[in-house]
Amino acid sequence: MNTILDILSFLFNSIVFPGLLFVSVVGMLYVGIDRKVTGHLQHRIGPPIWQEFLDFGKLMTKEDITPSAAIGPVFTAAPLFALGSLAAVMLLLPVASAQPALRLTADLIVIIYLLNIPAICMILGGYSSGSSFAIAGAGRYIVQLLGYEFVFILSIAAIAVKVGTLNLTDIVSYQAKNGWLLLDWKLLPAIVATLIAAQGKLLRTPFDIPEAETEIVAGPLTEYSGPKLAIWRISYNAETIAVAALLVSLFLGGPTAYTIGNVRIPAVVDFLIKTFLIVMLTTVVRNIVARVRIDQALKFYWTFGILLAAISLILVMVVPQW
Amino acid sequence: MVKILPKVLANLLRKPFTVKYPYEKVEPADGYRGKPSITKEKCIRCWQCIRACPDRAISVDKETKTPVIWLGRCTFCGECAEACPTKAIVMTKNFEFLDQYEK
Amino acid sequence: MTMVVPIGPQHPALKEPEYFRFEVKGEEIVDVDIYFGYAHRGIEETLARRNYKHNIYLSERICGICNICHSTCYCQAVERVAGIEPPERAKYIRSLILELERIHSHMLWLAVAAHEIGFDTLFMLAMRDREHVMDMREIISGGRVHSATNTIGGVRRDVTPEQIPKLMEKLDKLEESVKYYINLFQTDRTIKSRCANVGVLTKEDAIKLCAVGPVARASGVKTDIRVEDPYAAYPNLSFEVITEDDGDVLAKGMVRLREMLESIKMSRQILRELPSGPLRVPVDLKIPPNEAVQRVEAPRGELLYYIRSNGTEMPERVRVRTPTYASAPSLKPMFVGGTVAEIPIVLWSLDVCFACNDRVTLVDAKTGKVSVVTMEELRRWRK
Ligand code: SF4
Ligand code: SF4
Repeated sequence: MNTILDILSFLFNSIVFPGLLFVSVVGMLYVGIDRKVTGHLQHRIGPPIWQEFLDFGKLMTKEDITPSAAIGPVFTAAPLFALGSLAAVMLLLPVASAQPALRLTADLIVIIYLLNIPAICMILGGYSSGSSFAIAGAGRYIVQLLGYEFVFILSIAAIAVKVGTLNLTDIVSYQAKNGWLLLDWKLLPAIVATLIAAQGKLLRTPFDIPEAETEIVAGPLTEYSGPKLAIWRISYNAETIAVAALLVSLFLGGPTAYTIGNVRIPAVVDFLIKTFLIVMLTTVVRNIVARVRIDQALKFYWTFGILLAAISLILVMVVPQW
Repeated sequence: MVKILPKVLANLLRKPFTVKYPYEKVEPADGYRGKPSITKEKCIRCWQCIRACPDRAISVDKETKTPVIWLGRCTFCGECAEACPTKAIVMTKNFEFLDQYEK
Repeated sequence: MTMVVPIGPQHPALKEPEYFRFEVKGEEIVDVDIYFGYAHRGIEETLARRNYKHNIYLSERICGICNICHSTCYCQAVERVAGIEPPERAKYIRSLILELERIHSHMLWLAVAAHEIGFDTLFMLAMRDREHVMDMREIISGGRVHSATNTIGGVRRDVTPEQIPKLMEKLDKLEESVKYYINLFQTDRTIKSRCANVGVLTKEDAIKLCAVGPVARASGVKTDIRVEDPYAAYPNLSFEVITEDDGDVLAKGMVRLREMLESIKMSRQILRELPSGPLRVPVDLKIPPNEAVQRVEAPRGELLYYIRSNGTEMPERVRVRTPTYASAPSLKPMFVGGTVAEIPIVLWSLDVCFACNDRVTLVDAKTGKVSVVTMEELRRWRK
């Protein structure tokens, strides 16, 4: 009896909440809002916020083309794996309460791994598609991955050292006790570094180098069309939520429930608000900068980004606890 | 980077500069060179317009014996309206006829 | 080992079809070949088959962005051939629309340059502010793009006193935004990182390769047809020829941005000092045999028209040399030594306009041999 319930709840978790369905719908909505806000920031009206859904619906009805030069299986599997890994990552992130749907001992490492799979899938998809633009984009993506990933890991390491655990749930409960890590001055450089790395992870300007449309069309996604492109869009949207969710749990205290007056606001609302803030931050940043070149981006990550993360790491290791 | 931030954020609070065009009309300025229109009654059949048209867009309608403008060729230069001695041809402000077919 | 990277004829960075063949070593560009001819329309020949008046509208359509330059240059050349002098007021109105055209062309340059370096917000904002110029052009000429204002012996439309306050108001708005963009260009770190020291054209190269317009001026060559060969109302207007010394993309941008300020100043002066008088003088289109060359400073540089008349209502020969054609050789030193990622912005720093520059090239379909048609051959074929 119990096992059946476990299996059912696991299926529910991975397919409906907080897995595939939840992350796709919220992701599409947030990216829709992102596009709307971008429009207003640029002093125009912008698309309606449900535009992503319309795009998705339209792409799904289009013909599914695999270029003859492409390596078919890899080309098709890439978007599916990307989406799957993102659904899996949502199970490990605290969404509805401080407890994630699935508990592992050192889940932080697994999350970092899983968050890399979409990027790797995109690179594989690009290389397998046989288009020179896609290959150029995939090459750039690898370089960019080398740039931001180390900064990301180093700054998360600073946070992990500070809390003394590699478990995301423990980090969240630590913050519930001791206040948000955002308010800790020693971690501030690392948090800035994480945000910069997230900007690169989400391929947002100034780090949208792999898909710079004036240089290499759409980068790795050049040859994708129809349903496959739709799945790529969803997995991009889901990635936005997943990365934002990770940042929320890392230093914004994770989802917490409040009671205002007599009304109890569930933790998931808190989660939505906090991720929304992070997405909006990346939106504003992407609208006030120009795209940098790949060599400049790499230099930026390996000097400035790492410097920030390292400062925090050294600070939390050296400066005694108050 | 930082310099453009206040401008960009201020845009959030302002009314967007663009309009939802087909639902919200934009009136062109006075003297706009839109679709040329011919008042057949005023025409004295001098054919000055045909001579003036740089694109040979004006031809004579066989039945009514008045000039007709082939809009597919017209470049809206206004030479015909300028040449017409009786002001039978005038340039209107209408620019929304791309989806209409007219001989 | 070098590799060939083809850019074009269809490429997202190019707004028009043209073929660039880059030889790259890794990311570095070692050589570039430019192939023109994809947008050839046979306009010079057509110009010689229609009468002088109808040609105005054809010359306007050589280039959409600098259509007024083309029609002004054409009309002035015909006036020179026929030996007539347009009235003063017409000259001022011509200068006014020419300057407005420069502003809108440079605004467009700014917008697209921002887009090329991935700064889409700046693209949108520049396009928004460009709308003021377009409105002004609509008020003055009745069309947003094609003005149809110039005619042989003067202009067709007047600037009425009621329009002037409206135009002045728009100029104020424009000036404010142009100043803001200059400030932005000078201070924004991401713009600088993409534009500074990229696509450098040295002063020697600019002179040797006969660069024209803003490209030459950004390399420190003080050349401007408005000063060297004054036409229209320019002898009476006070303005400064803007130069920069660096020769990189940033300098080319700064030249254009600062030129816009000059143009705004000039437009104000024109609107203030507009002389009264007739708009056009009557012309007899049967022009006796004669020939003339006329130059105009288009937004992109020197535009040249050569016209030969033969006593009929049609010119015997019209030759057009557009600024992009003159500046194209300077692309090579700008590209060589740079990286592939710089291609779009460096290309755009020239403010390329291909439609107006394409020539005939014949490609033998069997051998793939490319040959350029000479004037003699063309003449022979005509008969
Ligand atoms: S507006 Fe110009 S192109 Fe159109 S019909 Fe009249 S003369 Fe011909
Ligand atoms: S110029 Fe006027 S009056 Fe003469 S034919 Fe044309 S429309 Fe009629």
